[in-house]
Amino acid sequence: MSVKKKLWNIFGPIITAGLLVFIAFFAANQFVSVNKATEKRAAVSLSSNVYKGSVIKSAALKDGYVPFFGSSELSRMDPFHPASMAQKYHRNYRPFLLGNPGTQSLSHLMQMQGMKSQIKNKKVVFIISPQWFTKQGQVPQAYNFYNSPIGTIKWIKSATNSSMTRYTAKRILAMNVSGNSGAIHQSLENLADGKKVTAMQKMQLNMSESGLTAEDKLFSAFVSGKNEAKISRDQAKLPKQYDFNKLTNTANHLAAQQSNDNPFGISNSFFKKRLAKGHKLEKLEGSQTEINYLQSPEYADFELILAQFAKWHVDPIFVITPVNQKWVQYTGLSDEMYQKSDQKIKYQLSSQGFNHVVDLSADGGKKYFMEDTIHLGWNGWLAMNQKVAPFLEQKQAQPKYQIQSRFISNQWQQAE
Amino acid sequence: MINIQPYESPEYFVLILGLLLPIIIGLFYGKRLVNYETLFSLVFLVLTFGGDKWQQGVALIGYVLFELLVIFSYSKYRSKQNQTSVFVVAVLLAIAPLVVVKLTPLFSTNSSIIGFLGISYLTFKTVQMVMEMRDGAIKEFEPVLFVRFLLFFPTISSGPIDRFRRFKKDYQTAPDREKYLCMIDKAVKYLFLGFLYKFILGYFFGKILLPIVSHAALAHKMAFFHTGLSWPLVEYMYTYSMYLFFDFAGYSLFAIAISYLMGIESPMNFNQPFKSHNVKDFWNRWHMSLSFWFRDYVFMRFTFFLMKHKLIKNKLRISQVAYLANFLIMGFWHGVTWYYVLYGAFHAVAIIINDYWLRFKKTHNVPHNRWTEGLAIFTTFNVVCFSFLIFSGFLNTLWFK
Repeated sequence: MSVKKKLWNIFGPIITAGLLVFIAFFAANQFVSVNKATEKRAAVSLSSNVYKGSVIKSAALKDGYVPFFGSSELSRMDPFHPASMAQKYHRNYRPFLLGNPGTQSLSHLMQMQGMKSQIKNKKVVFIISPQWFTKQGQVPQAYNFYNSPIGTIKWIKSATNSSMTRYTAKRILAMNVSGNSGAIHQSLENLADGKKVTAMQKMQLNMSESGLTAEDKLFSAFVSGKNEAKISRDQAKLPKQYDFNKLTNTANHLAAQQSNDNPFGISNSFFKKRLAKGHKLEKLEGSQTEINYLQSPEYADFELILAQFAKWHVDPIFVITPVNQKWVQYTGLSDEMYQKSDQKIKYQLSSQGFNHVVDLSADGGKKYFMEDTIHLGWNGWLAMNQKVAPFLEQKQAQPKYQIQSRFISNQWQQAE
Repeated sequence: MINIQPYESPEYFVLILGLLLPIIIGLFYGKRLVNYETLFSLVFLVLTFGGDKWQQGVALIGYVLFELLVIFSYSKYRSKQNQTSVFVVAVLLAIAPLVVVKLTPLFSTNSSIIGFLGISYLTFKTVQMVMEMRDGAIKEFEPVLFVRFLLFFPTISSGPIDRFRRFKKDYQTAPDREKYLCMIDKAVKYLFLGFLYKFILGYFFGKILLPIVSHAALAHKMAFFHTGLSWPLVEYMYTYSMYLFFDFAGYSLFAIAISYLMGIESPMNFNQPFKSHNVKDFWNRWHMSLSFWFRDYVFMRFTFFLMKHKLIKNKLRISQVAYLANFLIMGFWHGVTWYYVLYGAFHAVAIIINDYWLRFKKTHNVPHNRWTEGLAIFTTFNVVCFSFLIFSGFLNTLWFK
């Protein structure tokens, strides 16, 4: 065999493979566009790829989808879930669900950079759980799991030196994404120090951004349709015409069936899967007396979201969620503390001009309000929907925000 | 200043293969570009031990100077005399830095300031020099070659552990074209196999599955009369074993591939270890460069020592004691914690039992067919996975944290 032939035998397959990958990415970049069916599936899929990506979100927002930011509650899908209600009653919006257990302000801040031009001047729904506001705040592992490289790159590229920028960069670095090397890490370090992103770093960032975008497009068609099917099954159980009393009846009826085997009014399946096993329940009794949501880095992270909304002229409605009252009594979580943290969040909102707040924090004792220990369901979803739907359907006055940097200070994070 | 950890990111591979190109072209034309190689090695050493890891870099320089002094002194001495006590002192001096680094965690929460990534592997190489000088297999002290051998960067952080005489032979010549093409062919294969092992399978088992099963196993802390023995723990055992193999075997393949591209045939580290028929077979297939090192420099020497001084008469006892010493030392080398030491002891016991069984098989008529072979592989696999559960330290977390 000649040397040339041998070399080809060795490197031929690599070169061919490399070419094929290049062609696939190039083709994806040129020819793949997100269709309506994909948007519909993605909107309720809660897939982490959709969350981290940019292509589907941006396309959907152009087509009238409204971002619903949140965390674990979004996955509590019953007939009264916002996605189901919007579909049944032909609202002029459709929720695009963004959030999973573990996603909090910081991960939302990065992922929404991926729909920057589409979210500007738009209305959004933002569900806040006081459970985010722990002593640690955003858990790094969860952050890393939902970390959006595209969003982070876009954020870095548009960042200008300010106390907010420096603080954000420091927070992301503290999550220790991608080890301590790479252009993202180095440019974040520059931004944290108040320095500029170098031309070299910018070039590297642009390169990886175009790679990531091609990847995002290439995989955009592979979104699970499981939740979409569930929503369309669920909405069939709703009354034909929107009638709040009828809806409440249906909710009470369904909830009574589905939460009859435990003393907390928790959905039977959740209770069986998560609490009834072994000595789990016994151990949780009185276990939450020490929990405190008043002091948390999350308050500052949340401020970063507010500042971003203000900068982009986004008009958000905030929903603050309650805890199942029977569960509160069982675990010993302090009601007073919960209400204080609710007040603190609301103060931060109102003093900067964010006036649309649906405060459900004290409603955890209402009948069939909570699907499980800390998540809305049945009447809870209905209550939220009653405030959110009109907000989204009717024209709202242009909001005026006064962002105050004191809300990222350590003093505010630790304030009682 | 930037810092890049070996074989961790795509950037590292692009950088290393790019900078290797002149060396590869040189070797293709039968020339070893020694000066370029020196510069290239320096760059990578600085990248690995520079930046925020600069303290490790300083420790490395100090370590190399110290070991040079030890070996230089011993070779001077050995050219005239050959006393056992001096040899023992030389070995003790050579392992002293490693011992300090390994013992530091017992007394302090900080790691030792004289430690750096790969100190164990460098120590294996130095001890080997001292031992072979004692044997007279290495006669002269060649400081430049020794430093090159010690700091051969593809294998610096975690092996495979090469032998000086083998390395020297490869290093002093360039392979002919036929042979080098073969080496490149293998290197490419190993690189891609390594990608599959480390970045796909190792990632899947270690980063995706392991956190889930570990969480589940910790949730069953109180299971089975507070022992924590539960099905998730069994899942943890297998998942961790898979992770350990694919991560380390993947890494080793990278190190070997890069060595091959540089015209050095670093020894293989793994040979389908989960296909082993018994524990002895396993140690001929798992982390081979380490187990062979232990075989040659601990087990064999200890056996000779026992025989020469007639400390134990019974041949069977001798090998049993030598196994125990061998694996206990290996356990301590992994780290001075109960689970590493127990891991060593467990393998010593396993291999002793295995020895009994092999003897029994020789004298008795034990059936042999593919079913018994299957049973042997199955048993060995499970014994090994159980030892990895000990090794993982997870039981420590489960029981004592």
